[in-house]
Amino acid sequence: MRKLKLMMLAVVAGFCFQTANAQLIDEQDVTITMELQPVLQLDMKTPNQLEFVFDEIEEYYRGITQYAATELKVSSSVSWDLYAVGRSNGTNCAECWDQQLVYGSGGVTSGAQANLPMSLVELRQNRANSGAGVATSFPDYNQAFSPAATASGGNSLYVNGGTNTPPGVNGKYIAGHSGTSGTPGTDAMVGGSWMTQTGTASDYYYTVDYRILPGLPAIFPMAFNEDGVTAEDLSTVSATAYAQPGVYTMYVQYVLLEDQ
Amino acid sequence: MSPLKQTIVGLFLLLVLPFSAQIHCGNVELSVDGSTNAMITFDDFSKYNGGVTLNNALTLRVKVDHQAVPDPDCSWFLNMEVFNNPGAGTPIDEWEELFQYGSGSSDNPDLDILEIRIRNTCATSPLNGTFQTFTNNGDIMDIIQSMLPVTPAGSCTSNVNGPGDFNTNYDEFTFTVDIRVRPTLNYNPGIYEMSVRFHLEENL
Repeated sequence: MRKLKLMMLAVVAGFCFQTANAQLIDEQDVTITMELQPVLQLDMKTPNQLEFVFDEIEEYYRGITQYAATELKVSSSVSWDLYAVGRSNGTNCAECWDQQLVYGSGGVTSGAQANLPMSLVELRQNRANSGAGVATSFPDYNQAFSPAATASGGNSLYVNGGTNTPPGVNGKYIAGHSGTSGTPGTDAMVGGSWMTQTGTASDYYYTVDYRILPGLPAIFPMAFNEDGVTAEDLSTVSATAYAQPGVYTMYVQYVLLEDQ
Repeated sequence: MSPLKQTIVGLFLLLVLPFSAQIHCGNVELSVDGSTNAMITFDDFSKYNGGVTLNNALTLRVKVDHQAVPDPDCSWFLNMEVFNNPGAGTPIDEWEELFQYGSGSSDNPDLDILEIRIRNTCATSPLNGTFQTFTNNGDIMDIIQSMLPVTPAGSCTSNVNGPGDFNTNYDEFTFTVDIRVRPTLNYNPGIYEMSVRFHLEENL
C-alpha cells in the first residue's frame, strides 16, 4: 500500500511539472504581397522628319549621312530586345517607299523604278550589340558605313513585308537578339535603365546615324535583305533600272520589347 | 532506503529534471495594429530603383504580466522569422511566386529585397532604426534577445524584457515596423508573396 502511495506521488508530481512546462507564447503573422509590373520605356529624341535631298551629283556618289540623328534611351524592368524596322503605307509595295510625287515625265519607259526598297536606308549605331551571341549574320548596325564602291548589307535596314515582326537570327538588332534563352549576352539584354547605367559604355543608350547612298545610276547598292547577303538594289530588277526622280517617304520604327 | 524506494525516487527525479523550467510570467500577449496583408505595387522606374517604403506599416504591442505572486525571473523575448512557403516548391531564398507576367526569362525576386526596420522611442531593440534583411526561409532575427538578464520596464534602455505592457510603458513595449522593398530591375515581373512571423515568448 505504501509503495503504491509512493508511486502515485511520483506520477502526480511528474504531471505537475510537465504541466508547468507550458511556455507562454504569442505570435502574429504578416503577409507581404508584391506586384512587379513589367515596365519597358523607350525615350527617343529625333527630328520629326529626316530629309535627304539629292540635288548634287556628288551626293548621289557619296550619299548623304545624318550623324546621331536619333538618340535612343532604354529603361526596362525585364530582359529586353531593341530593333529597328522599315515601314511604309505600302502604296507602292509592302517593302517599298511610298512615292508621293514624280518629277518630270517619270522616265518609266527608260527603266525608271518607282518601287524603291526600304532596305536602302542604312543605320549605324554608336555601340555594338552586347546581347547577340546567337546572331548568324550581321548582329547589329555597328559596323562602319561601307565605302561607296563596296556594296555591303552590314548596315541596311531590316524590313519584313511592311510589318513590325521581329527579326530572326539572321536579322539585325540594336540590342538583344532573337530567342529566349534568358542568358544575358546570348539573345537578351538584362533589365536596367540609362538613368543608372550611364557613360559611353552604357547598353541602355544609343545614337543612330542614317545614310542613303543612291549611287549613279541611282540603284542604291547598299540595299540588302535581312540576311545581309541577298542584294535588293535596283540592278536586281533590271540592268537598266534606276530610281525614278520624285519624293518618297517611309518611316523607321524602333521597337522595344521583352526578350523573345 | 529500500531498493524500491530508491527506484521510485530515481524515476521521480528523471521525470522532474528534464522539465525543470518553470513559468515565470502570468501571461504574454502580442497584438498587431495595422494591415496584416501589405500589398506593394511596382509600376514605374522610380519605385523599382528607389524602392517602396511603408512607414508605420505595423505596430507591435507587447503585454507581459506578472503572475499573481510576482516572479523576479519573469522576462521575455521577441523575434521575427520569414517564410516563403517552401512546401510549394519555392526555392529557399526567393519569394513565393503566385503569378508571373511576361516570358519569365529572368529570375524571381530574392528574399533579401525585403527590408524591415524596427523602432521605438526607447530604442529597446538592438536592431532599432536600421533596416534588416533576410536571406533564407526560416531566418530568425531577434528584436529583443532571448535569455538575457531581466531588464525591468521603465529602464528605457536596450533589451527591456521585464514584465510590463504598452499601456504603462508605451515607449518600451510598442514597436513600430517599417517595411521597404527594393527590387531594382533584375527580376521577373509577377505577383509574389512572403510572410513574417513575429514571435513573443517568455524566457525559461
